[in-house]
Amino acid sequence: MFRRSFLKQAAGVGIVSLSGIAPSFLTRAFATDVRNSPTKGRILVLVQMAGGNDGLNTVIPHGDAEYYKARPGIGIPKQNVLKIDEHLGLNPQLAGLKELYDEGSLAIVQGVGYPNPNRSHFRSMDIWESANVKTDSIETGWLGRAFDEKLKNAKSSAEIPALAVGMERTPLSLVSRKTAIPTVRDISSFKLKRMQSAQREKVFDTIFASRLASETENPELAFLKQTSKTSLVAAQKLQEVTANYKPAVPYPAHRLGQQFKTVAQLIAGEFSSRCYFLSLGGFDTHSKQQGAQQALLGELSTGIHAFFADLKKHKLQDRVLLATFSEFGRRVGENASLGTDHGAAAPMFVVSPNGKGGLIGKHPSLTDLTRGDLKHHTDFRSVYATILEKWMEIPSSKILGQKFPMIDFV
Amino acid sequence: MMKTTTLKPFDTTKHVWNTRDAWHLLTRSGFGTTEAKVKQATREGLNKTVERILEMQPESDDFQKTQSLIEETAFDTGNIVDLQAWWFYRMIHTANPLHEKMTLLWHNHFATSNRKIRSVDSMSEQNELLRRHALGDFRKMLHQMSKNPAMLVWLDGNANKKRHPNENFSRELMELFSLGVGNYTEKDILEAARAFTGWHTKDDEFWFDKNQHDEGKKSVFGKSGNLNGGDIVDLCLKQKACPEFLAFKILREFVMGKPDRKTIETLAKCIRNRNYAMNFVMKELFSSELFFDSANRNSIIKSPVQFLVGTVRTLAGSVNLRELAGLSARLGQDLFQPPTVKGWDGGRLWINAANLVMRFNFASDYCLGSKNGKISDEFLSKMVEGSLSEAEIVTRLGNLLFASPIEQKTRDNLIADFKEQKSNRIDSLRGLLRMMTSLPEYQLS
Repeated sequence: MFRRSFLKQAAGVGIVSLSGIAPSFLTRAFATDVRNSPTKGRILVLVQMAGGNDGLNTVIPHGDAEYYKARPGIGIPKQNVLKIDEHLGLNPQLAGLKELYDEGSLAIVQGVGYPNPNRSHFRSMDIWESANVKTDSIETGWLGRAFDEKLKNAKSSAEIPALAVGMERTPLSLVSRKTAIPTVRDISSFKLKRMQSAQREKVFDTIFASRLASETENPELAFLKQTSKTSLVAAQKLQEVTANYKPAVPYPAHRLGQQFKTVAQLIAGEFSSRCYFLSLGGFDTHSKQQGAQQALLGELSTGIHAFFADLKKHKLQDRVLLATFSEFGRRVGENASLGTDHGAAAPMFVVSPNGKGGLIGKHPSLTDLTRGDLKHHTDFRSVYATILEKWMEIPSSKILGQKFPMIDFV
Repeated sequence: MMKTTTLKPFDTTKHVWNTRDAWHLLTRSGFGTTEAKVKQATREGLNKTVERILEMQPESDDFQKTQSLIEETAFDTGNIVDLQAWWFYRMIHTANPLHEKMTLLWHNHFATSNRKIRSVDSMSEQNELLRRHALGDFRKMLHQMSKNPAMLVWLDGNANKKRHPNENFSRELMELFSLGVGNYTEKDILEAARAFTGWHTKDDEFWFDKNQHDEGKKSVFGKSGNLNGGDIVDLCLKQKACPEFLAFKILREFVMGKPDRKTIETLAKCIRNRNYAMNFVMKELFSSELFFDSANRNSIIKSPVQFLVGTVRTLAGSVNLRELAGLSARLGQDLFQPPTVKGWDGGRLWINAANLVMRFNFASDYCLGSKNGKISDEFLSKMVEGSLSEAEIVTRLGNLLFASPIEQKTRDNLIADFKEQKSNRIDSLRGLLRMMTSLPEYQLS
């Protein structure tokens, strides 16, 4: 059996002590239950809504006449709104999120933005992902800097702190100096191909027959040997775990839904990542907004709902916090094409069964605007700061450049 | 006047030029190599081989036609993946791998991302600029790059106006393209920005907007006057930090993963003496003791491109170019779309569990054969010609794939496994190669 023969080798070779890069996956793989240490098991899932989601038709001020005045064509009819109270409600496609809200797991942070909002997709998304509002050259993401902070004393790491699922390239949010974040299409990316179990042990034994090189001999080779071992063990473990993993609920067939299933599998598989990044695009609804946005919101809602329902059945829901973000909201008034143009402030969703749900902050005024756009009252970096400090237990001011007030959702 | 060399040349009185030296030179200056080339280089000696590598060898008609066809496709579709496929084709099939490797080095150096440019035409044009000067005069390249439309868009050139100079361009010119962090003051950047005002693009071409140009007096690196963009580029080239910065990049790519101060200074001196003529610089580098030092062999972690292209060039076969480009992107090297203006730092950052699994899977797919590519039967037949024993085959392949001999135990396992194979010779060989290209040793150059 692979595990036995590997352990035999590991014992003989002292794998754990090499070069200061503790192959923590290995120690975790054979260690006690991770769930005993609450913060150690905590996971952040970020869902990017690319294109600039129209917040006003997402969290709808159905009690405000101005809303219907500004949107005679695309305003959501009052009777269809999923009501939270007599002022606000959710888009009819967000039934899953409404359920989470009623349970107390969903916090809706209103009026989120930043000073001098930029209305360019790239520029504004870069601002959100880097948490850098100045026009500096942008090199790292806010989470990337969090990973670097955690790896402060290590020169680099073979660990995978985060995973971008379903993306071709690493999102800026995760770009760090010390570690490269992989992107995976799905779990099959981790599957070692063309190795029937009978053969696998042979292959591994052959590849790792040699002793681990010492740092002084050839540091790069030592690093590669160690990482190769870690990777193969990770792949092996993942296959075992995900082979045994059964989603407890059906996931929606759409791409985002399947990606949520992948993330649930990885979390259940005790994969070492503490952070997962997903992206849903198409929110740039300049014309004929209704159909397009409803479809996307539907995917978002059914995906998130299935994800948390599955986690709950596996008793993992308390370890996960999910946040959505978009590069900007959209203008209050609809345009001539039954759509909306780039705007500014918008709400953020934070799903955290372990946290506090509810409405956070007031809905921005529909009449006191800046060039037709909603004014923000909550800086998005406050949301980040709260996630960093309260959820991930990492000091935030160095990462974000200054201290931001905490928000009460966790 | 004949220039004397700055780098200590390879000393043939101290060591005899041999097969391993030839292999090292060929694989570092290109992407993998073939037995025929190693034989030829061993026979011809260091100087002739270096000459051969640096000279522009003629490309076959087939190459010219095919690469042109793929490039046209990219222009038609406007899809960057098609342009990536074009570049992979070139790297895999060119008779001039060093030129492509240098082009890639400059692409990393002048990192510009299509994510913002969104134009296959522009990215292709910039790529041509890089290739044209890849082994040429760096000064010319820097001047032309400062007027390259893709670069100007990338660094917000059009936002750089008389009353509101935009620093992005002048900052990156200094920080990333010529001097490296800290070798300039903030004042230098601001003043240089003024010198670049009006350097815009119009209809995807460089256009000097006189009305937006600040004609006032600027002071950069102690020099004052009505400086314009060209003057700033010249001033940067004169700074001590410039050749040092380039030396660092070149050493990191071709010689050692972590260049030390002394070596950087030595190569910088060479660059300065040769007036930034890359052809002469690389000639000196490839002919030097430094390059062949045993401490510097087997020391560079292969980038995704190096790993993928190197494997296909060494173990001849066919491959789906677009899939390869996609895999390279997933491995962290998305051509024409570097993650930031800093480019790819490489080294250990190329390696983590997920990337290694992807590399192992590529090795499986390519060696065992898959719909995305496979080693040709023809190549494999050649490898087992002459009724070689299993041990001899493992040695032969080892010499082709690794910088230094693999350990005895690994070797024994490979031979034993190869012997045990129940399938025919060719298929067994595929299995053996899969194992060998999955070894940690294979990730090192």
